Amino acid sequence: MAETGHMSTLVEQGMALVGDRNDLRRRLENTLNRLGDPSVRVIVVGEFKQGKSQLINALVNAPVCPVDDDIATSVPTVVRQGDPASAVVLVPGQHSSAPALEGETGGGESGLERQPVQLDQLAEYVSEKGNPGNTKNIVAAEVSLPRKLLAGGLTIVDSPGVGGLGSTHTLTTLTALPSAHAMVFVSDASQEYTEPEMRFLRQAMRISPNVMCVLSKTDLYPSWHQIAELDQRHLAGVGPDIPLFPVSSELRLHAARLQDPELNTESGFPALIGHLRNNIVGGAARMQRRSVSNDLLSVTENLRLALQSELEALENPAGTPQMIAGLNAAKEDADSLRKRSARWQITLNDGIGDLIADMEYDLRDRLRRIQREAETAIDQGDPGPAWEQFTQWLEQSTAAAVSDTFVWTSERAQWLATQVAEHFSEDEVALPALKVANTGGVLDPVADIQEMKDGRLGPLQKMLIGMRGSYGGVLMFGLLTGLFGMALINPLSVGAGLMLGRKAYREDKEARLKQRQSEAKILVRKHVDDVVFQVGKQLKDRLRLVQRATRDHFTEIAEEHHRSLTESVAAAQKAAATYAVERDMRIKEIRNQLKAVDALAKAAQQLPQDPPAGARASTAPQATPQATPAPQATTETSAVPAG
Amino acid sequence: MMDPGIAGASDLLRQAKEIFQHDAAALEVVNELEGRLEGPLRIAVAGMVKAGKSTLLNAIIGEEIAPTDAGECTRIVTWYRYGHTPRITLHPILGEPQALPVTRKDGRLVFNLGDVRAEDVERLVVDWPAASLRDLTLIDTPGIASLSQDVSERSTEFLLPEDAPMAADAVIYLMRHLHASDVRFLESFKDTAAGQSGTVNALAVLSRADEIGAGRIDSLISAAVIADRYSRDQNLRPLALGVVPVAGLLAQSSRTMRQTDFEAMKVLARMDRNQRERLMLSADLFVRATGPAGLGQDAKASLVQKFGLFGIRLGVALIRGGISNPTELAHELARRSGLGQLLDNIASLFQTRADALKARAAVVGLEALLRGSPRDVALLLEANLERLKAGAHEFRELKLLATLRTEGLGLTPELSAEAERLVGGRGSTPPLRLGLDPAATLEQISETARSHLNRWRVIAENPLTEPAALDACRIVLRSCEGMLAAIPAVR
Repeated sequence: MAETGHMSTLVEQGMALVGDRNDLRRRLENTLNRLGDPSVRVIVVGEFKQGKSQLINALVNAPVCPVDDDIATSVPTVVRQGDPASAVVLVPGQHSSAPALEGETGGGESGLERQPVQLDQLAEYVSEKGNPGNTKNIVAAEVSLPRKLLAGGLTIVDSPGVGGLGSTHTLTTLTALPSAHAMVFVSDASQEYTEPEMRFLRQAMRISPNVMCVLSKTDLYPSWHQIAELDQRHLAGVGPDIPLFPVSSELRLHAARLQDPELNTESGFPALIGHLRNNIVGGAARMQRRSVSNDLLSVTENLRLALQSELEALENPAGTPQMIAGLNAAKEDADSLRKRSARWQITLNDGIGDLIADMEYDLRDRLRRIQREAETAIDQGDPGPAWEQFTQWLEQSTAAAVSDTFVWTSERAQWLATQVAEHFSEDEVALPALKVANTGGVLDPVADIQEMKDGRLGPLQKMLIGMRGSYGGVLMFGLLTGLFGMALINPLSVGAGLMLGRKAYREDKEARLKQRQSEAKILVRKHVDDVVFQVGKQLKDRLRLVQRATRDHFTEIAEEHHRSLTESVAAAQKAAATYAVERDMRIKEIRNQLKAVDALAKAAQQLPQDPPAGARASTAPQATPQATPAPQATTETSAVPAG
Repeated sequence: MMDPGIAGASDLLRQAKEIFQHDAAALEVVNELEGRLEGPLRIAVAGMVKAGKSTLLNAIIGEEIAPTDAGECTRIVTWYRYGHTPRITLHPILGEPQALPVTRKDGRLVFNLGDVRAEDVERLVVDWPAASLRDLTLIDTPGIASLSQDVSERSTEFLLPEDAPMAADAVIYLMRHLHASDVRFLESFKDTAAGQSGTVNALAVLSRADEIGAGRIDSLISAAVIADRYSRDQNLRPLALGVVPVAGLLAQSSRTMRQTDFEAMKVLARMDRNQRERLMLSADLFVRATGPAGLGQDAKASLVQKFGLFGIRLGVALIRGGISNPTELAHELARRSGLGQLLDNIASLFQTRADALKARAAVVGLEALLRGSPRDVALLLEANLERLKAGAHEFRELKLLATLRTEGLGLTPELSAEAERLVGGRGSTPPLRLGLDPAATLEQISETARSHLNRWRVIAENPLTEPAALDACRIVLRSCEGMLAAIPAVR
């Protein structure tokens, strides 16, 4: 990891130079932290039975993900570098004192417990067969393998297939997407893309636009060339430059077994791995380099401003008042940016207000539609016997609606941030990382839908209801016929009793059905209310967090800038009052410091351009802002408007 | 068993003809319904795009006539029915039907629409002299969930018409795995067709079964296991009568196998085992590699196109197992492809009750017609229609079958299953209903039917049996009696 080392040294040099500027030091510390976390998450998605797990097995050449003829994967599996090979499963912790927590695996996974398992027993935990419907309640599994491919920080995530009957799988997959750097979309060569596949791809690309497609199982289908061509055409309609890699996992595994390089080439994997290395891992590394370089440049810019003004004041005392006036004007500008009344602040506050209102309306609208649908369904039949399926449907559709709202809100939030940035300054300003779309756990506080009686009566109850009705009949007709000298219990009165009993029973049945229907409707309404209440609160909280993150981000930049200017003014004023002897020495000192700053700036400038040839595989990058744990922490690229 | 249903339906239609004799449009509808009643059973083949509908259709017909392709292929609803001479007729949405030239390329039909756009075609009708089409009209439909919206729409329009009875009497639904789109489609299918007619008349097929296990030699065994799981799936059960795994490509090719195919497989079977396995690692490799001697690249390409790697593997294994002539091999391949099972299922589930299904279609059609007719005319027929609907035992059987599969009746699971079987849920010949061997003697049938009759009588007379279940019991009893009555007196 020579390059990471190089970058770390540069950052440390920068930290040595900043002196007593704590704000700049903090920024460089963040940079250093990011450098220390090498991980590029690539998530493998697609419909079920397309060969996702086998693709990963073939990539790392080990049977880490269970493969079956029937639906196999039910739990996401993370494959990453590690020696020796081992596996753990993540389950929700019962006691909060879970010893080894790792916040990196999926973002905000506090309260998870890691249970080590045997690598060959992993299938019992993550496959649909060993763990049907995820009854073991496993959040994810992690496998560590010593592989050259993974050494660059590449982490591959196997996801449960979407499009099956459990639409919760789709939600799980979409939830995992925001934390991924790239997405591999798998579809097999038996047919061109179908409409549900394209719909999923479009939806997923809204969250994670960095996508590559894989056409799997090319060994099985002689006409895969034709399919590949058709798929490419479909992909062109979704977005430009989405690469498509036809591969055969079976061939690759065979090639590994036979040690046959020719077969390996035939399998199409070298191209896929090449793309993963150069474009995904390499791209992440490039992004990392760029962000480090930007951080360094902005720091040097800030430093230089103060030094330069002092130097000029020393060298050219006559012009000092003029310079101080210019600096003061710039300072005032920067100061106005800090104020609450700054234009960007207003845009932000208004925008968030609108966003919250829109979001609430959107959520309510979606859920209201579901409620209406549910009520029609209830009216059409007896909700009692089918209550279980019904609640399942209700939960799934509300979950889908909520995730839609989240994706939509996240898009709007990003857009708002760009809008604010535009108002903030003419120059390009980095955006803060916003993470709203992650729906993990939003529905947790929503209580389960209550159970309902299925409306079946025991024989005794039925008899009682019947008796209650027939009693009156027997008595009535018995008394009446008693007038004609018959006994109280006679065929006529019994017959009347039977008739009335039946009638009573039937009426009672209808009344009970009505009651069940209205009960079901109340339950549905309660559930929807609950969802609106809880999810609305969570969404609002997240948006407030977004607002705070955005405000802090931009204020910090304004503050940094302001402080640099203040120091420049102070330095220039001080310089004007310095004695001649000291002046020469100070000039020399400043020149030296400037030289160091310039050298660092130059090194930083070169960073993004030269990917060192030797460090292809060993780059240890960490790139898109989304992946850093806290949104506030990412203040990465920022070009300070020079006063 | 006598068929009061179909007799009643044709009576009704005759009455309708008299009543509507001055209404040309209505008369046309009635005539069409009559033709439907007399013609063979119509079965539509439906499914998601590229599920292998046309391939399966070819396999059932026994000739490769429906065009198939690697990309999406069928874009127009196409009817295949029996005719003495081959003929293709194009029915546009507006205008008169026109004949198309019959051209074939590699055995497959080429539909040359001329200057008519696919959107303007209601359907194509192919008359074909194939024995298997004599008592079955097959309808090929474009795939649902296609990327080209209008194609899917055309299919949905045909299968789920909004205001008319469906043109097909039953549906074979193909799926590769149980996809959410499949369930959605089947659900809406039930809502319209069965909502009007009260039955479940779809049979699900797990198609391309050879690909489920990545072409391994045991693929069809895992396919059978998966099909079994699906048939018990609570989402699918109310929607389809059963799930059958079929390897469509294998079924199609085994029925059209040629001597050259057999020779080629024999050459492969003679190869060294390791060499052969190495050769068959992938379809590309198989075609590109040189050897074995006596098998050119073209021959290999056509072989892999026709049979798929799984088909070749299976064929070679069978030849090595001792099969020595092409007919025997073709038979064995067809048997293993699951086509036989599918045909059996079609025969027992649909063809044995073809009359009831057709009569029901006629009744639904007539009802739709009456709904749009003047009140005084409709009144004349409505009473008869109602009587037929309520009275005909076949209809009640179909209805009970649907109820049993969808809602259940408060019977124990074992009793429900038995009732389902007795009213013909697994096929409507007496041995199938009674769960006996098809070769059972009349004595056995009579004895079992009698014991069932007694058992159900006891249930029916139990005062604690629920009213809904009581109705079911009566229908079951009537079915048992019907079976007994159909047996020539053996005492």
